[in-house]
Parts: sequence; C-alpha cells; structure tokens
Amino acid sequence: MASSNSGYCSILFAGSLCLMGLLPMDSWAASCCGGGSSSSLIMPKFSRAMVDMSVDMEDYNGFWDSQGDYRPDPKDSDLNQYRINLGYAHRFGSRWQGSVILPYVWNNNEYTGLTSNTQGLGDTTLNLWYETFDNVTCVWKVRQWADLKPAVYLGASLTVPTGISRFDNVANSFDITGRGFYRLDANLLVDKTIYPWNASLLLSYGKYLERNVNRDYGNYVEPSRRKLGDRQLATLSAGYTYFLESMDTLTFTLALSHLQEDDGRIDGRPDPSTRMEKNSLAGTVAWSTMDRDWIFKGTLSHAVPRNDWGDNFPVTNVLSFEVSHVLR
Amino acid sequence: MSFARRLLMTVALALLAGCDNMLDDLAPSGEDKRPDVVLGSVGPQVGQIAPDFTLDDTLYTPHTLSTELASARAVVLYFNMWCPICDTHANHMRQYIVPDFPDVRFFLVDYVSGSVPLSRSNQIASGYTDFTVLVPTSDSFTKRYQATMGTTVVIDANGQIVRMNEDFLDGNKLRATLEALP
Repeated sequence: MASSNSGYCSILFAGSLCLMGLLPMDSWAASCCGGGSSSSLIMPKFSRAMVDMSVDMEDYNGFWDSQGDYRPDPKDSDLNQYRINLGYAHRFGSRWQGSVILPYVWNNNEYTGLTSNTQGLGDTTLNLWYETFDNVTCVWKVRQWADLKPAVYLGASLTVPTGISRFDNVANSFDITGRGFYRLDANLLVDKTIYPWNASLLLSYGKYLERNVNRDYGNYVEPSRRKLGDRQLATLSAGYTYFLESMDTLTFTLALSHLQEDDGRIDGRPDPSTRMEKNSLAGTVAWSTMDRDWIFKGTLSHAVPRNDWGDNFPVTNVLSFEVSHVLR
Repeated sequence: MSFARRLLMTVALALLAGCDNMLDDLAPSGEDKRPDVVLGSVGPQVGQIAPDFTLDDTLYTPHTLSTELASARAVVLYFNMWCPICDTHANHMRQYIVPDFPDVRFFLVDYVSGSVPLSRSNQIASGYTDFTVLVPTSDSFTKRYQATMGTTVVIDANGQIVRMNEDFLDGNKLRATLEALP
C-alpha cells in the first residue's frame, strides 16, 4: 500500500497542479473596466512552498451590452492587456496554506482615435486555504464508497487595491490597472481524481468593502460612499492525464466558468451600471516533470462573442503561460 | 534570509515605488477637494460659465451652445466612447431621463472617433441614431470640459452656468439636477 500511496500522491500532485489553471483567472478586462486582478494559487498537499509566474495576454473582442447583446468594438479598435503575475504560496501547517499574488499590468490600446499605453501594479490577492483532508483522495479504481470522497478546500481571499483605479490621478479610463476596492471572498474547492480523470468545482462569493470617493478619473468630485456589487464565481472543470514514458505527465483540462457581479451602491442607492456577467470556456495543457517539482502550463480562455453569454462586460480571449516550482 | 522574506521585501519595495497613486485606494479620503471657483468665470467647474462651442454632429449640422440654450431649459453633454459602460449610461438616459425632460437638449459627445464619418459609423453600429452626436475633431474640447468616459455636464439657460460635471453613475444626480432647474 505504501507504494500505491506514493503513486496516488503523485497523481494528486498532478491533479492539483492542473487545478491551478482553472482557478479564478479574473480577467478584469479592458482597462475601461479596471484590469489587472490575478488568479488564486494552491499548492500540493505535501509541499513546503511554491513559486509561480504567469504571463497573460488578453485581447478584447467587443462587449456584451446591458441587455446581453453582443456588440463589436468600434472601428479601428485594438485593445490589449498584458499581465505578469508573481505568486508565492507557503504551507503553515499540515492543513493550512497561504499565498500572495502580485500582478503587473500593461495596457496597450488603440481605440478609434485614441492611443494609450500605460502600465502599473494590478490589485494584489492574499489567499488562505484550509484542506479538510489529511490523506490524498485520488484513486486509480473505486473499490469502496470511501474511494469516492473528494478533496475539499475551504478558502478566504483578500483583494487589496494596489492597482491604479479610476479614483486615482488618471487621465482616462485606459490608464486603469485595478478596481480600487478591497474585496473579501469565501471560496470552496471540491476536487476528485479517479485516475486518469479529474473533475473539480470552484465556488466563490465575494463582497466588496464600501469606500470613500472624492475623485473620479482625475477630477475631484462631490464626496460619496461607493461599493461594487457582490461577486459570484463558479468554475466547473474536467481533465485527463497522460503519463509519458519518462513519467512526466501531460494533463488536458476543459473548464466552464460563470462570473457575475450584482448592482453596486452609491450612498446606499443601487447602481446598476456596474452590474456584469461573464461566461467563458478555458482549455489548459499542463506538463509536469517526473519529480513533480516543475509545472509548465498553457491556457486559452475564450469568451463567446454571442448574445446572452454575458452582460455589460467586454468579450475577451486570454492566452496564459505559467511556470510553477514546488519547494519540498 | 529566507526566500519568503526576500520575496516579501521585494513586494514591499514594489508597492512603495508605486504608492503615489496607490494610497488613494488603500486609504481613501472622503474630504471634499473640489477647487474653489469664482462665480461667473468661464470654466468647467460647477458654478462657472460653460465655455461656448460650435461642433458638427454626425450629419454635419453645426451646433453652438449659446444657440441651443436660447431655445432650451438646459443642455446635457454626455461624453461617450461607445464602450459597455457608455452604452449602459446612454441607454438609461434614453429610457428613463430624456422622455421626462422634453425641453432639455441632450447630446452625446463622441470624443474618441475624431472624424464625422467614423463617428457616424459608430453611432449607427451602436444603435444611437435617435441621439444627436457631437464630434470634436481634437481633444481640446474634451480638455476644456475636463471630461472623460461617462462625464455628464449640465448647463442651464440662465447665464450658461455649469450645474453638474461628473460621471453619470446611476443617473440619479442627473435627474435631480434637471429637476432642480428653474
């Protein structure tokens, strides 16, 4: 059994690493909507720490209006955002781990007659995760009911507004790299691997903290209290892992994600202009070395440019490359 | 020094390097910092006289502020760049505000297209042919009004005083401003 457990451990490792690509890739698109958030970060069960770097290239391809109808961007528009995300995860106990992710954002926009190239820090994310299990839960075969038990993670995230928001000293909406609000998220991640298949579900509920506002797009305005609406995210994914001859692994994962935010608030009144919804599909290929200490991933996240796939939000494609190194 | 500490210090330095803008969001202020204005002076601030202008719309019809004000209780300028938020704002204005104020002139100001043909094309593609869209051909107009995406300016007929110059947000302030007009 010991050898079997060791094998399971490796599989969990691979499975968990695949999950990283499916966790919330908050493509807060368009500088005009506040870009530059970052993803979550979870490391495998029996590791001490992990460093991670990813590069996102996001291309804008129209938007959904407030009725959910798809609209192309105006003529002569080419909107892009690039992000480098630096992440570090650390284990605090057998069941506890935390991480920090710091993005740096470049906005590169041609919008009809307007050209804009700006850069700056994005919003920083701090994560804390609790693992509800002590032993790995992935199996090769289901022999008893207990083999169906999934790995369940409970998490909390704090988004810190370290980016450049519309409330800072910015000239226009294209300068933005962050949203300007603190946010607290409660996260639930359920993951099950019955080798070689893997499935996971991530649910997240976030509340923005209300803040003072006395400036908007560089101009001082009548002070008010504002907040964005509650945020809900659900991501469902399924993956398949190949073992290569070298015992490296290659994992293919597909994910479906739904993200929405409710009405914001201005001095307590509802503000429907910040309400949004986005549905997207993502495909990930992850290659992990035999010792499972290095993982290389490529992800393409696609928002479908059709009616009713979103609401009041840009339609984007995000191409991401990620490298993770696990420290034992 | 451990790797974690080194990383933490790097992050802290990066944060400090960019803290000029960052502090406004990390510790937001509710202090009213709007500049004092001299009543009757020309400028974009609330209480000032709006700078007069003449701009073509997307059908090449010229519109002069002072002429428009002579036949209306007020003029509303909405600075538009055909983006999702702009669409939400303009659609809200069209549905819930414009019908209630028939004696107010509403204009969308397309401050990004830069030419009448391109602006007309964007206007049609975005479904706003029922609005009059003004087309500045340089950014000096937008700068004179200190405007950007979503900026909404209300200018009343009584001496061309600017009554409001800020983001449309939920439209409540625009409605309240128009209802308070003499």
